[in-house]
Amino acid sequence: MSSFGFGLVTAAVLALATVGFTMQFAVTNVLNLAYGSVMINSAFVTYYLNIHGVPTWVALFGGVATGAIASWLLNQFVFTPFQRRNRPPITIVIVALGVDLVGTFGLQAIVGGSYVSFRQSPGHEYHFLGMFFSGLQLVILGIAVVVLGIIHWLLRYTRLGKAMRATSANPSLARNSGVKTKTIISTTWLISGALCGLAGTVFALNTGVFEATSAQLYIVLLLAAMFLGGPGEPYGAMFGALVIGLSTEISAAYVNPQYKEVIAFVALLGMLTFRPYGIFGSEKTL
Amino acid sequence: MLTQYSFYLTTILVYGAVDAMACMALNVEFGFAGISNFGFIIFQSAGAYTAAILSMPRAASSNGGFQQYVLGWNLAWPLPWIGAAIVGGLLALPFVFLVGKRLRGDFAAVGLLVSAVLLNVLVKDYVPFLNGSAGISIVPAPLQSFWNPQGLAYQFAYGGVAIVLAIGVYFLIRRVTESPYGRSLRAMRDNDIVADSLGKDLRLQRTSMLVLGGAIAALSGAILVGFINLWAPGAWGYAETIVLFAAIIVGGAGNHKGAILGAILVPLSFEEITRFIPPLSNPALVPALQWVAIGLLIILFLWFRPDGILPERRRILSNRSGVAPVETVVEGQSDALIKLGNVDELNFRELLRLGEVTNDHRVILSTKGLTKSFNGVTVVSDVSIEVRQGRLTGMIGPNGAGKSTTLAMLAGTLASTSGQVFFEGADITSVSSHKRAQLGLVRTFQLASEFKKLTVLENLVSAIPRQPGDSFWGSMRGRRYWGAEDEANIERAEEILEGFGLTQYADTYAGALSGGQRRLVEIMRALLAQPKVLLLDEPMAGVHPNLAHKIGDQLTKMCDNGMTVLMVEHELSLMDAFCDPVIVLAEGQVLAEGTMAELRKRPEVVEAYLVG
Repeated sequence: MSSFGFGLVTAAVLALATVGFTMQFAVTNVLNLAYGSVMINSAFVTYYLNIHGVPTWVALFGGVATGAIASWLLNQFVFTPFQRRNRPPITIVIVALGVDLVGTFGLQAIVGGSYVSFRQSPGHEYHFLGMFFSGLQLVILGIAVVVLGIIHWLLRYTRLGKAMRATSANPSLARNSGVKTKTIISTTWLISGALCGLAGTVFALNTGVFEATSAQLYIVLLLAAMFLGGPGEPYGAMFGALVIGLSTEISAAYVNPQYKEVIAFVALLGMLTFRPYGIFGSEKTL
Repeated sequence: MLTQYSFYLTTILVYGAVDAMACMALNVEFGFAGISNFGFIIFQSAGAYTAAILSMPRAASSNGGFQQYVLGWNLAWPLPWIGAAIVGGLLALPFVFLVGKRLRGDFAAVGLLVSAVLLNVLVKDYVPFLNGSAGISIVPAPLQSFWNPQGLAYQFAYGGVAIVLAIGVYFLIRRVTESPYGRSLRAMRDNDIVADSLGKDLRLQRTSMLVLGGAIAALSGAILVGFINLWAPGAWGYAETIVLFAAIIVGGAGNHKGAILGAILVPLSFEEITRFIPPLSNPALVPALQWVAIGLLIILFLWFRPDGILPERRRILSNRSGVAPVETVVEGQSDALIKLGNVDELNFRELLRLGEVTNDHRVILSTKGLTKSFNGVTVVSDVSIEVRQGRLTGMIGPNGAGKSTTLAMLAGTLASTSGQVFFEGADITSVSSHKRAQLGLVRTFQLASEFKKLTVLENLVSAIPRQPGDSFWGSMRGRRYWGAEDEANIERAEEILEGFGLTQYADTYAGALSGGQRRLVEIMRALLAQPKVLLLDEPMAGVHPNLAHKIGDQLTKMCDNGMTVLMVEHELSLMDAFCDPVIVLAEGQVLAEGTMAELRKRPEVVEAYLVG
């Protein structure tokens, strides 16, 4: 049961990250494989604010802002220009891998290769329902629930959310119906980038110690969660994150913890092979 | 001092040969077949491990058992290298499901990337298999019991063998890519769905190239491990594949010499230059900056010089003298000026191999209850139609009536939700699209579908079925085997090209043509696929009306010669002039069928479509 608790926290972090990732895919059709590098850069901004005396939960906003701005810049000055030249999706993916290398190892060149950690105590331990959480983990869970709630509200009940969903479903039709798709895409990258920055910071907080390349393989979990729920589907991403988060942690309790990510790999490959449009999706949604 | 340089030189020779082989192999997959194999490094690594454990003694009996691994067959050179190449080729087979024809290219690439990461994790964590993250060391050098591997002569011989093998690889893959089969590979790269519709077996083509590339990559790994005598998971992280991609992007995708140049400029130079950088206080700095440089190289080259330093070569096939190849054509150049050449003199029966067909107007293509729904929305519902041999049947209907969907189900591009398709009396509902094309059921597309980086002539020739050189083994048998027939095919394509008045564009990239010209190329290409039934999806869209009527005349003539055409078209004057009968679709159902004159009298048809 304790692994279920761990799984919930892992899933919460993963859900924040995957929702941002899948939103970017939804509105721009870009598999942003540089996502992990933006996450870890955001985490480091929070970290530096934190060690210079800013309390963690305030410094967090620095990380969120970093993620938002970096992602917006990335879309505005890298992905969009390439797309405007009608480069195929695979070129954009290769570019994203290049950006990931620059982002991750540029950071490593600056901060060095050693592990760091926040000035943040994990807090009290709380026990309930056979699970136990640190205070830190409860805060992370709380943040995830609140933020995902806001995203839900945004997508369902605001004009912006409606325009986002329209842009994702059919960009040219949305544009012809008067949706300012350029603005919507920019806004989406800001919001998803903020999620990315937030996810990066809470990922680093949850991990405890981290360094510049710590998020490099996180992209696999992200992809697994996204493809489980269907690419471009924010609610699917939440579901996928829950499944992947819980299954990795629970499997870690029963088999060798070194293999805990294997289940995510297998899930991802299985989805790509048999249902690349997600468990609930159908082929037309691609 | 001199020997020190000599040893250094041999190291460069071996690494250069290994990198060049790897880049050439990846280039065949990526630059020619269009497979973005982001897991490429696992093939090289599989070769290294295989060669190592085949040449090493049993783990328990050797080196005090300080390392664990499987096999340990103690085989003599060159058996470990051969075994490595075989394992590398076989390793490609499980990935067939990822590169099959339905999955988006970038999704398949992600799948391969993830596979590379997964295998690295598994090998690292499961020690008994290949000694885990410590890796395998003390791998015997080939023939070390006869010849001292530390000697300069041995080192030079090793470098020489590596270079010879790299040169061998160059000629081997050239044989493949500079054949009709290579043309099919590039066609698939440029537009896989269209290549499929012309009868190319995408799955087989991709599998073959993954196997070939995998075998070469594995051989390169075997050469490397015999030289450095150790191999560990740290040496084959997924990012190593990105280095090789950077090499190909810099050198020039689709160009073998470009791949070799890229191998020298990127992996080899990066490895060698850093040897000369003095140690810094931060040991992680140099490798980190190396990765940054790789990333920047990729981004900057893809932006400023996407074709690389040595771009893909344009293949000049045209034999007609006095024709200056037109380099580029201004988009939108007035299509009204396109004149058909001597098309009236073309002998289609001969040119299209129609054979001695006598038109008997039997039902050649039909459907029964054909239905397609997406997400529960039915787009085509219970459509039963008959197409008669030797007739030019038209299909009209308002936008969204399901015309293109019906056509796609006839050609097999889309699978039907229910219902059956019959061709020449046989139920072909479950026959795949490329097989249908091979049977003689060929379609064109509504959207531009030329192979952009193939010349006009290559576009045409690539469609001709049953070319002796259009298979892996056929290409292996060399030009002596397929050359004569290829010449004849080119001649045929030039003849039809001349008929349609586009001879001067024979060696122009099809992507550079104007819209109307591209339409003509697509029609000619479909004809050269030797269809019994030709399915045309709005072939005249964007074509000048005068030209459209000339094309219509030729289609009629072809039908008189035994071909059958089903044409979806909006332009009713074309239907009036050429099509009999005409099928009307509305809201996914057959509304009426008959001659245009009859249809104009039917009130429901007029209401649904003909108004205005």
